[in-house]
Amino acid sequence: MKLNRLIFERIDHRILVGTVSFLAIMVLVGWIWINENARMAAFEAQYLARSIERGAELYGSSCSSCHGVDGRGALGVAPALDNPSLFGHDFLAEINAQVNTLSTERTAAEAQGNTTRVAEIDTQLADLQSQSDALVAQMQSAVNVGYDPAAPNRLVDLGWGSTLHNFVYSTMASGRPVSESYWPQPMPAWAQANGGSLRPDQLEDITNFILNWDRGDDWTIEDLNAVRQFAIYPINPATVPTGGQQDPPVGLDTSIDEIMIGLAEVTGDPQVGDQLYNGVVFGCAGCHISAAVAPPIEGTWTRVINERLLEPQFAGYTGEQYLAESITHPGAFTVPGYLAGVMPTNFGERTTFQQLADMIAYLKTQDQ
Amino acid sequence: MSVLPFPSFLDDVKEKGLKRAALEGVNEVVERITVGMNVQDIREALRGEPASRKPNPRLQPHADGFWLHMRPSYFNRSVTGLYPTFRLGWLSTYFVFFETLTGIFLMIWYTPSPEVAYANMLNIMSNVPFGQFVRDLHRLGAEAMVLIVFLHMLRTFFTGSYKKPRQFTWFTGVILLICTMFLSFSGYLLPWDQLALWAVTIGASMIEASPPPVVGTNLNLLLRGGPDIGANGLLRFYLLHVLAVPAVLFIFTGVHYYKVIIHGHSLPPAAENIGEDTAKRVPLDKRVYFIPDILTSEIMWIGVTTLILVVLVTWFFHAPLEAHADNQVTPLGTTAPWYFLWIQGALKLGDKVLWGIIFPTIVIVFLLVIPYIDVTKSRRFAHRRFALSVAFVLLSLLVFFSYMGLPEFGVKTSADSEILHEMLMEPAHNHMGTLRPIPYDQLVVGQFTTAQFETNEFGGDIGTALDSLNSELAESDLGATLLSYLSITQHLPITSFNFVPIPADATELYDGISVLAHDITQHPAEMPNAWSAVIVTQPQAGLKRVDVVIIWDEVEIEAGVPVLDENGNPVFVLDENGERIQRINGDYMYIHADSQYFPAPGA
Repeated sequence: MKLNRLIFERIDHRILVGTVSFLAIMVLVGWIWINENARMAAFEAQYLARSIERGAELYGSSCSSCHGVDGRGALGVAPALDNPSLFGHDFLAEINAQVNTLSTERTAAEAQGNTTRVAEIDTQLADLQSQSDALVAQMQSAVNVGYDPAAPNRLVDLGWGSTLHNFVYSTMASGRPVSESYWPQPMPAWAQANGGSLRPDQLEDITNFILNWDRGDDWTIEDLNAVRQFAIYPINPATVPTGGQQDPPVGLDTSIDEIMIGLAEVTGDPQVGDQLYNGVVFGCAGCHISAAVAPPIEGTWTRVINERLLEPQFAGYTGEQYLAESITHPGAFTVPGYLAGVMPTNFGERTTFQQLADMIAYLKTQDQ
Repeated sequence: MSVLPFPSFLDDVKEKGLKRAALEGVNEVVERITVGMNVQDIREALRGEPASRKPNPRLQPHADGFWLHMRPSYFNRSVTGLYPTFRLGWLSTYFVFFETLTGIFLMIWYTPSPEVAYANMLNIMSNVPFGQFVRDLHRLGAEAMVLIVFLHMLRTFFTGSYKKPRQFTWFTGVILLICTMFLSFSGYLLPWDQLALWAVTIGASMIEASPPPVVGTNLNLLLRGGPDIGANGLLRFYLLHVLAVPAVLFIFTGVHYYKVIIHGHSLPPAAENIGEDTAKRVPLDKRVYFIPDILTSEIMWIGVTTLILVVLVTWFFHAPLEAHADNQVTPLGTTAPWYFLWIQGALKLGDKVLWGIIFPTIVIVFLLVIPYIDVTKSRRFAHRRFALSVAFVLLSLLVFFSYMGLPEFGVKTSADSEILHEMLMEPAHNHMGTLRPIPYDQLVVGQFTTAQFETNEFGGDIGTALDSLNSELAESDLGATLLSYLSITQHLPITSFNFVPIPADATELYDGISVLAHDITQHPAEMPNAWSAVIVTQPQAGLKRVDVVIIWDEVEIEAGVPVLDENGNPVFVLDENGERIQRINGDYMYIHADSQYFPAPGA
């Protein structure tokens, strides 16, 4: 029991051990103190990183079916989030800044009667204009899906008075109750507090994930053109000129037999169908572009004839009948391997018989 | 004439000079604070010298002071060494104060509401200086306190110190042990993370099993504040943790201490005659005075113990904080805290009421009444063979039941889920998925497969093996099914397979996938012909996604066990064409460049 005698029996040893212990504690606390700010910063960075990871997972399960697994949106379904416009990147900013400077200088030169300088500036301005035109021309495919090069910043256009983080978070939390008027499905409210399924921390995670798409100054025209759908700005119905009498829609509850009777009275135009199918109004191609999300457009008619009509439940169906039912009553049948309930069910009240016939005519041009 | 209209320190200065007046003033203050010992007395005590004045000033704090009136003024020399007390009782007391102090610090930053509790934790960790340090100390202290109080009880048992006249001291000690465990357990829920929620759910569901059902249901409602743990449950656990249980603990600590004073510290069994209790009759030559010997010893133990805790939390231990609590997501391998593992283990033996309620109740009642059952007089080891044997048997059972309580024991999960969990799991219980701590740079974007490790068929040539697999998948139904599974179920946007060898410089990725390759071959009966794909993609800058998919031939399974034919081979499930059916299961994780998943120390 040497230890016993050393530590427990001699008071000076006890005092020494105790004092050394307390001093060592002070040194360690000092050491922690010195590192504390760095540690807290590191924890914050690490936590944000893990939040983005969780957000990615939640995005995959809750958001990707409308906004796209890659965040580039779906035509006619939902806008892109991996989107320079959402982050307010203006590709023309630099050119516009130069134009502004030169215009100011030109006004001054003109006032001074310096015609030589005015002519120089005009040349430069013309050059900038052609650069700008060239850039806008490169953006054409983005313009086709709703991009406006003159209004490149979503938040500015909306007049949003807060941060992008709050915009994304509050849009998710509260949804867009009115968006049904301009999208096939409205953006739902996701927050538990608003009747959704996500907790505040989960909404925060998804927000962090979405904000992680920001590329700062490194956005490219390719990023812009990769966007499949930009935000739509709702139009005040009062300002829309009313046309002539419109054809009535097919109807939500119209049975497939009645639809077929209606279709017999019209002739479909595949070219019009092409525009409808690939355009913004119905946005079919937004989902039916990749086999990952929905049966792709390519080979539709072949698959209908060679596979679908062989299913027992379609005995007696024609290919047209199958397509008409799939568009107006998508719940009737889901192609194996895909999730039921993803396809919007309101095409019945959004299409007329003529439009339905046009789209079927277009789909019949796919193979066979 | 006084300087001021009343006698004051200034008069002293005038009379004696500043230095002497100040020294005497300090001396007086010290004497009042210590209730009897002046600076000179303290100096002598700390030097180990005898007191120079009479009556002995070192006894006065015991007689007149509040704090030391509950400590004996002298001890018997035979209880002042490491044996027989191991200082466990003192350390238990110290931990009560230690936990109270660190707990009060944490309370400042904590609100017991599911809305904000977890965010409070994050704030403590990221925004409160010393927040993590104090939280770690509080958590480690709680675990250490359970251990120390338990060891204190064991020591008391082995030295027979629970015997007459100390039966009731033992009784209060058992109550303190229960309080300690329940304090630790009720603190478990407060961070409101997955670990907390599910550990407490297990505990509370045992209470729900109390017979008859009407009692169980209502006890459960009382504790959880609803059918599930929510805002009410969290608030109740919080109040139990900071108010109710500490109140019981403080009261019984008082009683326990009072009993120790009344009966004195029991001497080592060999130091007194059988049936005698001489603790209170300490001969003069055996007296060790509290001041200075025991006091310095106790302060030294505080110093050493605190230092050990501080060293541990500085480098080796961090209180866990898992993902936010989620009632909808049950993590695989949920366990109770380690000190309740024995109950969880017992629960696996069968009936919830018998093993979850009746059995622990019997154990507690047995502990409480030990001194009233064992009324033999001798405290010597040689005379207590039966009692000591029973104790060792019970201790072995405790260890065995605790082992059974581990998730590894007896919980049936299918092999594929188990492997996916082992590969990808988020950090929990000082453990994380094998692939998770791979450095971000080594997670090379690409498609890899365990087929790389099974190249015998191709003469060991990895390139040929992978080409063969790629072309086989491109043509077969399996390839299409796999793609559809990945893209539709798992939301992974890939359109084709192109497996490539793992790059030579991604050594940790290589090691991880080789572990996976090994693991999937460990269940030949349940998952025959298993192979696996590991697909790394990069959905965003700084963010990678790792998918692990296991593919195997489906076999018949009954009650979680593969059915074997007469030759001991698995029975394959065949489709209508007589072909084997291939099963697919997969999972994925996202890894951010800054996530910093480190393997736990020692893992």
